[in-house]
Amino acid sequence: MTAFRLSPAFAAQYDDNNQEFSISGSFRPQSIDELAQSIGLLKDSLSKARGVFHLNVKRLVQMNNTAFHGFARVIVDTCRARPDLKFVVVTSSVVGWATRKFSRLSQIEPTITVEEYDSAFYPGQSFLEEGGFIPILRTQTKLTWRHERLLLPGHGMRPGVTMADICCGIGDFAVLVQKEFQPSRIVALDHSKSSLAYARRMCSEFDIHGIEYTYGDAAAMLLPDEQFDLVTCRHSLQIFDRPELILKELYRICKPGGRVYITNEKNSHCLGEPRAESIQWTYTEVAKLFEHFDMDVELGPKSRRYLAEAGFDDIRVESFMVTNLDGDPQDFADVIAAWEAVYAGEMAVQRGDSPEFIERFRQGFQDHIFAALHPKGYAGWPIWIASGRKPS
Amino acid sequence: MLVTSEATSPRTTPEDTVDGAFAPMIQIDMEIADFLSAWPHCDYLSTYMARMVSHNRSDSVLHSTLFSSALNELLELSFRMRRLSGSLVCRVSRRDTVERVELTFPCAQEDRQLCEEAVAHSKAKEAQDRYLNSLSEDLVPSSAMMLRELAINYDAVLRIKADDGDTITLIADLPLEGLAN
Repeated sequence: MTAFRLSPAFAAQYDDNNQEFSISGSFRPQSIDELAQSIGLLKDSLSKARGVFHLNVKRLVQMNNTAFHGFARVIVDTCRARPDLKFVVVTSSVVGWATRKFSRLSQIEPTITVEEYDSAFYPGQSFLEEGGFIPILRTQTKLTWRHERLLLPGHGMRPGVTMADICCGIGDFAVLVQKEFQPSRIVALDHSKSSLAYARRMCSEFDIHGIEYTYGDAAAMLLPDEQFDLVTCRHSLQIFDRPELILKELYRICKPGGRVYITNEKNSHCLGEPRAESIQWTYTEVAKLFEHFDMDVELGPKSRRYLAEAGFDDIRVESFMVTNLDGDPQDFADVIAAWEAVYAGEMAVQRGDSPEFIERFRQGFQDHIFAALHPKGYAGWPIWIASGRKPS
Repeated sequence: MLVTSEATSPRTTPEDTVDGAFAPMIQIDMEIADFLSAWPHCDYLSTYMARMVSHNRSDSVLHSTLFSSALNELLELSFRMRRLSGSLVCRVSRRDTVERVELTFPCAQEDRQLCEEAVAHSKAKEAQDRYLNSLSEDLVPSSAMMLRELAINYDAVLRIKADDGDTITLIADLPLEGLAN
C-alpha cells in the first residue's frame, strides 16, 4: 500500500520567554515510546517554568489517543506535584476536536484552563467582515469580475483545474469562477463564520453545488500540501499584518507547476475628476489609516516582490482600473459610500481622529461619489493582479 | 485492497435495508495481514476515507479532520488486536447528519468481551468518570478507554454486531456534522 499523503510534520518546541510549549502537525504513534523526545522536552520545559505555563495546540491537526495520553499524563502529574503552576491550553476552533479533548484535562485538574483561539486571528479585519459590509462586497466583486474574468486565463485559470480560493469572504468569486470556468474542484476558505454562513445560504438559495466552503486560518490551513492547480487570494494579503505567512501557505497547498493568483490595491492611487485634489488627499489618508491598524492597502505594486520572495517563478503582474464607466455608476458610488462609512465612521473614530479631520476625510469620499455620478465625471479604483508559478 | 465507492456499488443491498435510510458511501476490504504490515496504514486509511466521505459536508475540511480522528482510533483498535488471518472491512454509510462506520475485523474471544463491555458502558453515566480516571491513572490508553473517548468527545453511539466465528463488527454512528458547526 502506498502512502496516500504524508501527514503534516509533527513538531514540538518551547519558547522560554513566554513559557509556551507548542506542538503542531500530525502525530499518531503506535507506541508511547515514540513520544520520548517530545515528552523529554516538555518535562524539561516544565522544570524551568514558574507561574503560568502555556500549552499551544492551535496548529495540532491530528493526535491519536496514544500521544494525547502521553502528554496528558505529564501535565496532570505536574499539576499534582506543582500546585503553584497553572496551565493554559490554547486550542483552535479550526481543528474541531482539540478543544473538547483538552478540556477534559481541566475536569481532572482545575489548575488547567482551556482557551479557544478564534476571533483574534487578525485584529483589524473585523471592520471589514461584519454583516453590514456584505452587500458592498458583492458589488465590489461585480465591479472587479468584468475585468478579472478576462485576465484570469493568463494566470492559470482554465476548465477542469482544481482550485482553492483562500480568504474567500462571502464566496461570490468562487461562484462566478464556477459558472465561467467550470473547475473540477473548488475549495473556498475563510475565517469569518458569518461570511461562510452567507456563502452557504446563497449557494443553497441559488441551487449551486460543488463549492466546498471551509472555515480556516489562512496562515495555518488544514489543507494538505500540493493539492491545487490554482490558488487565488483576492484583496486579502493587504489586510493581514504578516502577508508573507499567508503566501507561504498558498505556496504550500499549490501543486508544483501550479499558480498562485493574488489581487491587491494601492489605495492612494484612487482617483477622480472633478475634485481630484480632495479625492487624492482622502485616499492617501486611507493608506495611513490602514497602516495604523497594521494593514497595507498600498500592497498592489509590491506583489511582484512578495511573490519572488515566497519562491515563485514566472511572475506576471498587471493592473486594471475599476471605473464609474463599468456598468451602472451608482454601483461605484455605493462602494465608495460603504468605504466612507467604515473608514471614516468606524476606523478613524477608533484611531481617535478629530472631528475636523473626519469631516475633511469624509469630503474626499463624497467628492469621489460626485465624480462617479457626474455626467462628465470619471472615478477610478486601481487593482493590481499578480500570479506566480510554483517551481516544478 | 478493494475500495468500493457509492458511484460503483449498488445503492442498497438486502443487508443495507436492516438499518433503513443509511446510504452506503464507501467500503474498503483488505487482508488483515496486509493491514497489519505497517502501522501508518491506520493513518492512510482514515485520512483517505475521511476525504472521500466529507467532500459534500457543509465544511469539508473540518468534517474530514474530525472523521479522520475518530476513524483512526477505531482502526488503531483493530490493528492492536493482532490477529493474522481474515479480513478487515471498513464500510461508511450516511443518514442526514450522521456517518455510520462499520468496522469488521478478526478478534479473539477475550478482546471481544472487552470491547463489548466498553461499548455497553459507553452510554452509561460513569463513562466519563472512567475515561477521566484512565486519563489520569493509566500508563497507556486501553481499548476500552479509546472507545469511551469516541462516545465522550465525538458523541459517537457505539454498538457491536454479533458475528459468527472470531470476527467482530464495531458500529459507530458519528454525528460530526453537528460537532463541526
